[in-house]
Amino acid sequence: MLKYDRFTLENGLRVLFHKDTTTPLAVVNTLYDVGARDESEDKTGFAHLFEHLMFGGSINIADFDTPLQQAGGDNNAFTSNDITNYYEVLPANNIETALWLESDRMLSLAFTDKSLEVQRSVVIEEFKQRYLNQPYGDVWLQLRPLAYKEHSYKWATIGKELSHIENATMSDVKAFFKKHYSPSNAILCIAGNFELEEVKSMVKKWYGDIPSGVKYNRNLTKEPIQTDFREKTIERDVPANAFYYAFKMVDRMHPDFFTADTLSDALGRDKSSRLYLSLKKEQNLVSDISAYITGSLDEGLLVISGKLNEGVTFETFDKALWHELNDFQSKAISSDELEKIMNKIRTAKEFQDMGILNRAMNLCSYELLGDVSLINKESEIYHNITAEDIQRVAQSTLQKTCCSLLKVKAK
Amino acid sequence: MLDRTIQPELKAIDKIEFIAPIEYKITPVVSLYHMKDVPNETTRFDLYFDAGKCRGKNAMASFVNGLLLSGTKNKTSIEINNEINGKGGFYESGISQENSVISVYSLRENVLDIFHTLKDAIRNVSFIEKEVLEFLSDRKQGFNISLQKVNYLAQRAFQEELFHSNENYSKTTQLSDFDNVSIQDLKEFHAEFYLKGLAKVVVVGDLDEEIIQQFIDESKEFALTTKPQYAQNIQNNVGLKHIDKTNALQSAVRVGRILFNKNHPDYLDFLVLNTILGDYFGSRLMSNIREEKGYTYGIGTMVAELNNVGYFMVATEVGSDVKDATLREIKYEFDRLKTELVTSEELELVKNYMLGQLLKSADGPYAMTDLFISVELHDLDLEFYNKAILALNNISVERIQELAIKYLNWEDMSIVTAG
Repeated sequence: MLKYDRFTLENGLRVLFHKDTTTPLAVVNTLYDVGARDESEDKTGFAHLFEHLMFGGSINIADFDTPLQQAGGDNNAFTSNDITNYYEVLPANNIETALWLESDRMLSLAFTDKSLEVQRSVVIEEFKQRYLNQPYGDVWLQLRPLAYKEHSYKWATIGKELSHIENATMSDVKAFFKKHYSPSNAILCIAGNFELEEVKSMVKKWYGDIPSGVKYNRNLTKEPIQTDFREKTIERDVPANAFYYAFKMVDRMHPDFFTADTLSDALGRDKSSRLYLSLKKEQNLVSDISAYITGSLDEGLLVISGKLNEGVTFETFDKALWHELNDFQSKAISSDELEKIMNKIRTAKEFQDMGILNRAMNLCSYELLGDVSLINKESEIYHNITAEDIQRVAQSTLQKTCCSLLKVKAK
Repeated sequence: MLDRTIQPELKAIDKIEFIAPIEYKITPVVSLYHMKDVPNETTRFDLYFDAGKCRGKNAMASFVNGLLLSGTKNKTSIEINNEINGKGGFYESGISQENSVISVYSLRENVLDIFHTLKDAIRNVSFIEKEVLEFLSDRKQGFNISLQKVNYLAQRAFQEELFHSNENYSKTTQLSDFDNVSIQDLKEFHAEFYLKGLAKVVVVGDLDEEIIQQFIDESKEFALTTKPQYAQNIQNNVGLKHIDKTNALQSAVRVGRILFNKNHPDYLDFLVLNTILGDYFGSRLMSNIREEKGYTYGIGTMVAELNNVGYFMVATEVGSDVKDATLREIKYEFDRLKTELVTSEELELVKNYMLGQLLKSADGPYAMTDLFISVELHDLDLEFYNKAILALNNISVERIQELAIKYLNWEDMSIVTAG
């Protein structure tokens, strides 16, 4: 049971406090309810570029990193298609430095031209390093627009193309800040060995006078139900043919979300999973194969990906995969198999809960879903999943008509 | 009215509590370390074998490490994996220059069952031909993918340059290695370095002594009886080497040299110099090459350690057009540390940062155990970290300059670029 307290400031900032008496460290985690899905199609990559700019100085503090390092802390941030998340980890007795820095950049940024110019080029190098200069690095840049036709999940967080980053202007940046970076669009979690009253007074002190901003009302174009099998082949200078079967799955709040997650585990989490055993160990068609979900807030993807062995054609593999998927749908998995999958889920969950940073991030994520108490129901939800549930979700998800297939062909 | 221009008052870290695991002797030279103080159901155990890359021919060490669960006369690889996964275990195997480490993460109720499965698998692995061929074919494909990455190409060449004077350490995987493996070679390596090569066991988890005793009793047959020997003196090959990869958008850069480890009197102070130069976000190299010039997504330096030696390295990936400019800037930052004293503000900042990081690396039983293992490797104990705090508090700006002059000479560096 994860313990927490929750309160809201008058300006709308939602705050969670997680007490941990065993650590000398404190975590300050800030989640902004904005991700790449909130960008407009001609200005993609913006949420992520903006994350970089958040380190370029705020209205009253020229440099973000130096004071935090002086306090013995460090920090990082990430942007996904759904959210932007920032955190600081530092000695608990210096927590106010983190609150000072984090609240000042919620108040306003410095918006210097130099910062924009440099971070533009840093992000362009990141684009190259992660997506363009790696074998199979551009797969998600190709797969997203294949699987999503209308919804803004069709572009990756790094953006559709380099030019969107190159052309970002200061007025774009300022407008983005105004729209998304305010107490009413943020969730703060503080974790460490503090008392609730102490946390309340510190948070009030640093965040209480920040204007609430306008609550951003998301109105994204809904992805129409996919009714046709989609397929795309790209040729790249890579050593092996690779495949990515992406199936549409339910959104994060749907009751079947965790069942779909368990389904992906059953299919391809490890060397005991169905697809690994049949397609690799029995038939030797692939060098590796795995299945996983994107876990996104709106309708997500269940992906089966891997690489073909030399001499195996896409057609041969395709036939074998569908045979396996159909077989999986035709009868429920045994209770023994289910128990084994659940054992693995339990281990993973128990290890995730070891880390204080993980707990703080997780609390913010659940608050974003609208009900932080769900965090303590997760284990029970997994526990109650039956073999029949998995079969039912397999039947509705593993359909050719909701599948998008990307093939990477070796040149 | 709140004055937001003023940083809240900073408090110093006065004390860090270091907790050592309990040591049990398996043989006079092999110990089991148990960290019991875990607040939940999680456990991890690590088996260290004297079966690192420096042992055996070619890529033999890496192949045997990867084949440990490939099956015995009585059990297939599928059955072994099924037993571990079915009990909720996460198996990891890794290899460094001098060690092969097998780790399993699980819940404590399953730890013994998994250990038994693993022990049987490792002891009786029979290198079934079908499994070996499949494994080599997968690895070869993975290797070919790696060869497309400038980062991998640079790191591989850097290893060759760094450990240049000692062939056992400088050898790297070659394509031909995959075609020249005999089952007999694998078996011989396994017999020499696994069946009689256990160097250390680490167990983290709230486990009873009886369970620990079983680990001890059942590990005994594998344990080393004499201390293994590792390279003492290694010289790196100085100068520039370029690995060509046409059409690469970015070039990977490595600059470094052989250095010392925790047993050397300059070690602790050099860590401070290393941090100033490139081991935190506000470092000289990050400020110059990322934040000032935008050449890269990231650049960093590190000090790494082996049993008897260590090394220092700068690593980055930069736009291919600014590769040479980056090398010039790295040299410039070396020289600046040699010719100009760092300011006391900068030193103060780095000290505070490093203390905070030390606090973080001592937080929780898993981190604490790893911190302990990194001194145990050099026959030191946790007192080392109290000395580190003292050293941090006493270091001067002159001392930083002295170490820069002594160790950061461009002429002493192995420099590798790929792209």
